[in-house]
Amino acid sequence: MGRHIAIVEDEPAIRDNYTAAFEREGYVVDSYARRQSALDAFAARLPDLVVIDINLGDDVEGGFELCRTLRSRSENLPIIFLTARDSEFDAVSGLRLGADDYLTKDISLPHLLARVAALFRRLDAVQRPTNEDGRLRRGELVIDTERMSVHWADRAVSLTLTEFWLVHAMARYPGHVKNRQQLMDAAQVVLDDNTITSHIKRIRRKFLAIDEEFAAIETVYGMGYRWLVD
Amino acid sequence: MDLRRQLLIVSLMTLVLPWAGCQFIRETERALRTGQQDMLAGTALALADALSQYPEEFPLDYARDYRVGAPLYGHRLEYAPSVDGYVEDWPIDARSIARFEGVRGPFELVAGLHGGYLYLFVAVTDADVAYLAPGAGPAELAANRPLAERVELVSISPPYLDERFLFGAEAPGRIIAYARSAQSIRPQPGVFAHWEQVPGGYQLEAQIPQRLLGTNLGVTVTDAAGASASSFATPLPGPLMRPSEELRDIAAGLVQRGMRLYITDREGWQLAATGSLVARDEAQSTTVTAWLRRFYDILVDEGTAAALAAPAASGRERQAYVRRALDGKVGASWFRSEGDGSAIVAVAQPIVDGSGVIGAVVLQRGTDAILSLTNDGLARLLNLTLIATIGIALGLLGYASWLSRRIRRLSVAAEAALVDLSSAIELPSADAGDELGDLSRSFAKVLRTLGEYNSYLRTLASKLSHELRTPLAIVMSSLNNLEHEPLGQAAKNYTRRATDGAERLRRILNAMSEASRVEELMHNAEFAHFDVNPVLEAAVGAYRDAYPEQDFEYRGAAATIAGAPELLIQMLDKLVDNAVSFSAVKDRIELRLERRGDSVCISVENPGPPLPERFRQRLFDSLVSVRAGGSDRHLGLGLYVARLIAEGHRGRIDAENTARGVRFTVSLPSRTDSDVRRPGSGQCSSPPHGPRRPP
Repeated sequence: MGRHIAIVEDEPAIRDNYTAAFEREGYVVDSYARRQSALDAFAARLPDLVVIDINLGDDVEGGFELCRTLRSRSENLPIIFLTARDSEFDAVSGLRLGADDYLTKDISLPHLLARVAALFRRLDAVQRPTNEDGRLRRGELVIDTERMSVHWADRAVSLTLTEFWLVHAMARYPGHVKNRQQLMDAAQVVLDDNTITSHIKRIRRKFLAIDEEFAAIETVYGMGYRWLVD
Repeated sequence: MDLRRQLLIVSLMTLVLPWAGCQFIRETERALRTGQQDMLAGTALALADALSQYPEEFPLDYARDYRVGAPLYGHRLEYAPSVDGYVEDWPIDARSIARFEGVRGPFELVAGLHGGYLYLFVAVTDADVAYLAPGAGPAELAANRPLAERVELVSISPPYLDERFLFGAEAPGRIIAYARSAQSIRPQPGVFAHWEQVPGGYQLEAQIPQRLLGTNLGVTVTDAAGASASSFATPLPGPLMRPSEELRDIAAGLVQRGMRLYITDREGWQLAATGSLVARDEAQSTTVTAWLRRFYDILVDEGTAAALAAPAASGRERQAYVRRALDGKVGASWFRSEGDGSAIVAVAQPIVDGSGVIGAVVLQRGTDAILSLTNDGLARLLNLTLIATIGIALGLLGYASWLSRRIRRLSVAAEAALVDLSSAIELPSADAGDELGDLSRSFAKVLRTLGEYNSYLRTLASKLSHELRTPLAIVMSSLNNLEHEPLGQAAKNYTRRATDGAERLRRILNAMSEASRVEELMHNAEFAHFDVNPVLEAAVGAYRDAYPEQDFEYRGAAATIAGAPELLIQMLDKLVDNAVSFSAVKDRIELRLERRGDSVCISVENPGPPLPERFRQRLFDSLVSVRAGGSDRHLGLGLYVARLIAEGHRGRIDAENTARGVRFTVSLPSRTDSDVRRPGSGQCSSPPHGPRRPP
């Protein structure tokens, strides 16, 4: 039986398109136009992954509310925000509520599908025993590509999928400058300069929260970023 | 012309006050003068009536005989002059001496009367005075060619008496006079004469008892050659006009103080003169200042010169108002002296008896009273109106200054508000109840509307991109799904094209929302001190890779600012992108980093077409592009983003046309170690784009 994905989206055309795409990949899809209808359905059974639009008709912040409710019910339920809102503020708000990713609607369907697949992979990996082969070690940094988890100095760094792939892209070839396009390709998203900058900033902050001395990500002005190994 | 000058000119209109005052004074003066003239005319009428009782004192009708010449006026002499050949001791006006055409030049003649004697003075122009031969008798003197200078006094009493008194000299000094009648020629006792030679001629003075003389007198001058000239052109000399002692006595009893009166016969010859005008009060005249006097002269009716009011020196009155009286009507005149401003009112009344006009009474009076009145009034009026005018002018000037200051403050404030529409608009005079208050409120309203419109424009791009993103997502996801459907080759082509178009649309939408994201980023940015130079060096290296077709040249020196390097690079990206898009292959794009005073200046210059002047101000606004077509990447947002970043760093961005092309300059406040957060005061380029506050 395929994985169960719930799409909460007020725009019927998008909803149907996404539903069709997911179903083509073998997922079982339920779609909802309103927060209430989604909540009613989720009350009986939680889906395996939820794609939420923030703006649900007249319910302007309905997606956020829904995310909060779902997160309170389940720690591990993957939640993806897929929204027209591209402001930094909304992205930060969404991620703070515990969303696993925040995507704008201009993401292409293949990218979206890849995201979803990756999230499921991470979910599965958590339940499997640790496999040393899938690990990438760069000094204090340990990247588990199967679990899609990152550790710094043996402490887990909670990264979103986008952040994970950005770190992974940089740390894979330490010392090499990764430019915007390379990072975008790695993260399978279309991001502009500002969004990349924001992401890098957030990643740095997350590492700094663990280690105040963290300085492994270097900005190469005009070119991109690189991972430093001492 | 500013408001102050305009109102100052308006205040000149108060000058109509002194003008009106002057008109009033002029009218007053005229009325007073007319009153005096009327009064004087009344008095003169009474005098004329009184004098008409003495017709015998007025000479007979002498002028009707064509053979008789012009009268010789016997001036009344106050005292007897000494008979010495000189006229200077005579108590008469020098202008009384009559001139006639002589043989070798003009000769002068004057006659005077005193104590029963006729005094005669003759001055003859003669370059070569001939004297009688010593021992020559009266016969030689009386000859047609006397061989010496000869003066004859022709005395006739038509039709009977015809006698001549001959004067000739053997030498200057006292001479003997001869009386020549038709029968004889003999020395005339009782006649004293003195001959004096002077440069250019000779002078004769003689004293003759009036009893020896006829009614008509004339003088004939003959030179040694026998050529002669007379004081009369007619066969007979004119009558001797004698002032009437009788009339003078009568008149003296009638005339009032301060008046001058004279009486003429019907030809205008003075028969009597008496009285004098009141001497001017000197103390009063000094109070009249010179400029006031001049002003007064301009103001008051022009009169005849005051000197002409005096009795004519020749003895005959020829003035119009006297002639008018002699024609039987009342004549009036008005004399005024240029010098001291004294004025005289004169009136002439005909003296009429049964036979008609026999003479005229001329009565004159000084009008110092009027003058001083008008002078005082004038002075006061001028002072008051001058003070009033100055006061009004100052008042208007002050008012205008206040008004223009308010307007200036309003315009300055409005302009300042126009530059920064985002802040609260507070204009001066907004509470005022007058039109300026209205204007201020209207301004504020307009500016507020403009500000709202501007902020609407600013957010339009991001709103639009936000709104368009959902339909775009529909299109893109539909296309993505379509790729999984079985499609013919043609349909696949169309799908691919549609995907390309949607992709382009997505890029446009991203660009449109970039500005608002930059603003957010700026808001959350953590500013750090950093040296711009290595950052720019790295960035230029990246540009060389990114734009291989252009030549990049960079010159810079260490310069520390407070800011976010990523944002700064993003700003530079926009500027470089703009420069590249306007330049051709192999063009050199120059980047500069330098410190100027408190500012760190980053400039990007590229060759290319100059910026249109009208766009210079708006270039950095949202959705403004100078490009004709406008491709997907040039919605006019790039420079707007650059401006947002520059202003976020408390700096500013300017564009200018240079000899090479176009230069964009970003001025950022330089940071020293003290880290004082203050706006940069230095300036990197000449044309200001206007001060802007960071959002």
